[in-house]
Amino acid sequence: MSRTVLVCDDALFMRTMVGDILQQAGFEVVGEAETGVQAVEKYKHLRPDLVTMDIVMPDMGGIDAVREITRHDPAARILMCSAMGQQALVVEAIQAGAKDFVVKPFQPSRVLEAVNRVLTAA
Amino acid sequence: MSHAPTDASRYADLFRVEARDHLAELDTALLALEQVARDDADGDTDRDAVRDERRSAERDRHVATVFRAVHTLKGMAGAMGYRAVERISHALESLLDRARAGSITLEAYEVALLFDATDALSAAVSDSADGIDDPEREEFSTILRRLGSVTSRPHTDDVFASVVAVDIPTDARQARTVSIALTADCPLKGVRAMLVSSRLRALGDVGVTTPPQARWNDDDFDGAFTLSFRGSATADEIAAAARAAGEVARVDVLAPDAHDDRAPKRGGLPGDERAGASGERRVAGDATRHVRIDLRRLDMLVDLTGELVITRDRLLREADRAVERGADRALARAVQDAARIVTALQHEVLHARMVPVGQVFDRFPRVVRDLARDLGKDVQFVTEGRDIELDRSLLDAIGDPILHLLRNALDHGLETRDVRRLAGKPAAGRLVLRAARDRASVVLQVEDDGRGIDRKAVLQRAREKGLLGANQTEGGATVDDDRLLQVLAHSGLSTARAVTAVSGRGVGVDVVATRVRALGGLLSLETIEGHGTVFTMRLPATLAITKALLVEIGGDTYAIPATHVVEAIEFDPAALLEESGRELLAVRGARIPVLRLRQHFGYPGGAGEGYVAVVDVCGRRTALVVDAMIAQQDVVVKPFDAARGGAPWFSGATVLGDGTPSLIVDLGMLV
Repeated sequence: MSRTVLVCDDALFMRTMVGDILQQAGFEVVGEAETGVQAVEKYKHLRPDLVTMDIVMPDMGGIDAVREITRHDPAARILMCSAMGQQALVVEAIQAGAKDFVVKPFQPSRVLEAVNRVLTAA
Repeated sequence: MSHAPTDASRYADLFRVEARDHLAELDTALLALEQVARDDADGDTDRDAVRDERRSAERDRHVATVFRAVHTLKGMAGAMGYRAVERISHALESLLDRARAGSITLEAYEVALLFDATDALSAAVSDSADGIDDPEREEFSTILRRLGSVTSRPHTDDVFASVVAVDIPTDARQARTVSIALTADCPLKGVRAMLVSSRLRALGDVGVTTPPQARWNDDDFDGAFTLSFRGSATADEIAAAARAAGEVARVDVLAPDAHDDRAPKRGGLPGDERAGASGERRVAGDATRHVRIDLRRLDMLVDLTGELVITRDRLLREADRAVERGADRALARAVQDAARIVTALQHEVLHARMVPVGQVFDRFPRVVRDLARDLGKDVQFVTEGRDIELDRSLLDAIGDPILHLLRNALDHGLETRDVRRLAGKPAAGRLVLRAARDRASVVLQVEDDGRGIDRKAVLQRAREKGLLGANQTEGGATVDDDRLLQVLAHSGLSTARAVTAVSGRGVGVDVVATRVRALGGLLSLETIEGHGTVFTMRLPATLAITKALLVEIGGDTYAIPATHVVEAIEFDPAALLEESGRELLAVRGARIPVLRLRQHFGYPGGAGEGYVAVVDVCGRRTALVVDAMIAQQDVVVKPFDAARGGAPWFSGATVLGDGTPSLIVDLGMLV
């Protein structure tokens, strides 16, 4: 059974790209979210194995979404997607419960390595 | 490596240096042990099982540290054939062994004995390194007897005492150093380092990190860091956990004995097999992290690199000229590449000489404790900023001045318990030794909350000694702190013993001031009667290279240390004022005293003065009038003995890019 993933990003382009990378690696994209609020709702509903989360999104940012999701499910596996220069925000996201991060522009190999780490983390 | 006799003296040096490290470690651990013993004695009214257990764990940890240091010393002494050191450390080890086994408790008496034994050990180490080895010395045999009598105390568990293992297992309480390097292209290295640290946290306790975690998100964090780890995980487990955080290029897990990464340390003497048993590092990755290096060799490297830097500048200029004359650009490019490498090399070499001030600070808690006890004073001694780094040669030179200031503070600054109580202060005086970084300088402070300096008494005494001329109008307690320091630092005054009794200060301030100035630093003073005194030493972080403003005076080039230059402006004679015979320059509303360097350095006066460098020394500004500004650049300092040269206002010399020599102005002396 393939692993399920919820892709959260306000840009369609980024969602498509992340989705493609993960699908090629055998994941099933079970949902997409454009806002933090959507991300939280869809997580509760879909219970995916993995969430990729953009930091900056309208209507509740990625960090607050991480906080909400981990409050709901402390075992949630969330991978942050950040841009260069968002160091402080990434730190905050990890403190909020995200398990790892990748930095844009994405290199498929790095994304998959990070996903692997998130999924194998205790 | 063989034990060739010609190498004996080299080993003796190594022995001395390393033994000192272990003795310092011993002192530190004993102090901690003493604190635990004291807490124990104080806290017996309300017994608390959890606290007792914590204390007992703490005590075990300190005993283990003491044991390890003594054990290593014994092994080293054995390898060198130093019998006195070997015997004392053996006796100490036997006592500690029984303490570890729980068949003797370390209470006040035992801890005091351990201190005395450490002193004897230290004396024996000095003797041995000087070629004297007399295990029968009275002092040593007394200590051996005392140690023996405690060790041989009967105890019900006595049968077990003799079978305690000598080698120390890697137990969960001892910190190991984990050294990690992230991959070169790892993005957001600081965040990744945080992930590594949190992975390790899942296995055990993660303590101090170098660089500190707060600096991981700095731009210059290169992804190499170390952290201390306590826990029962194996080196392989630790390495695996660190790697699981991703982007980790290398992990080294060092065994407990090698936990101190602050300096090249503990290689073990050549031929000393015990080093392998008690503390040889275990490496899970590939590279060796530390080697010991002879300081002279390092100095030579710094010196040669300095020469290389000068040559680099000359090469760059010549290459530019060659290109202007139509030469091939390939040459200029090759020279630029070489120049970049030289710059990187210079950075690395200078950095190799930097050591944390903690290495010197560690010497003081013991001294302060002993002195406070002798003086019958209660003192809370605090050190701050132990990881601030300072050039090794500065660090060696700064120990004595710090000690002077600490002694002064204890002896004269801090009051006795009763006096303090009457003054409404806490019974224990507070003595702080602090290091901080301020731009290119390192600031060291000795602060006490004692009685402060009695200005009136100091000035009175100075007048009696004829140190203050009759024309000097300073009367009563009106002089400011800077002037007070000048008076205090006058050698005629500070050797006057009576001052000590009257004013409460004065011993050795001249020595401190002279030493600090010789290092290119500045000493300043702040004192409030009844509230305390702060002595501040501001030192350059490194002696070897300094940023300087190059100026022209009378056709020659001089270097003014850039750390003190506030601004450089054109000289406008119309902005000159005169006030009670002194020239002042009006700069944006402020009136700044003027110093015409042409005149001061003995050049013929007259036309040519075109610029002013405004400098700030200890908060006092001075306008230095020069002929022209040339450039601001790094200069390599070659110290010289200014006092003998008869030109007191120069702290050193440098050679500029074009090969011409230039003197470095000593602002502390000049203004």
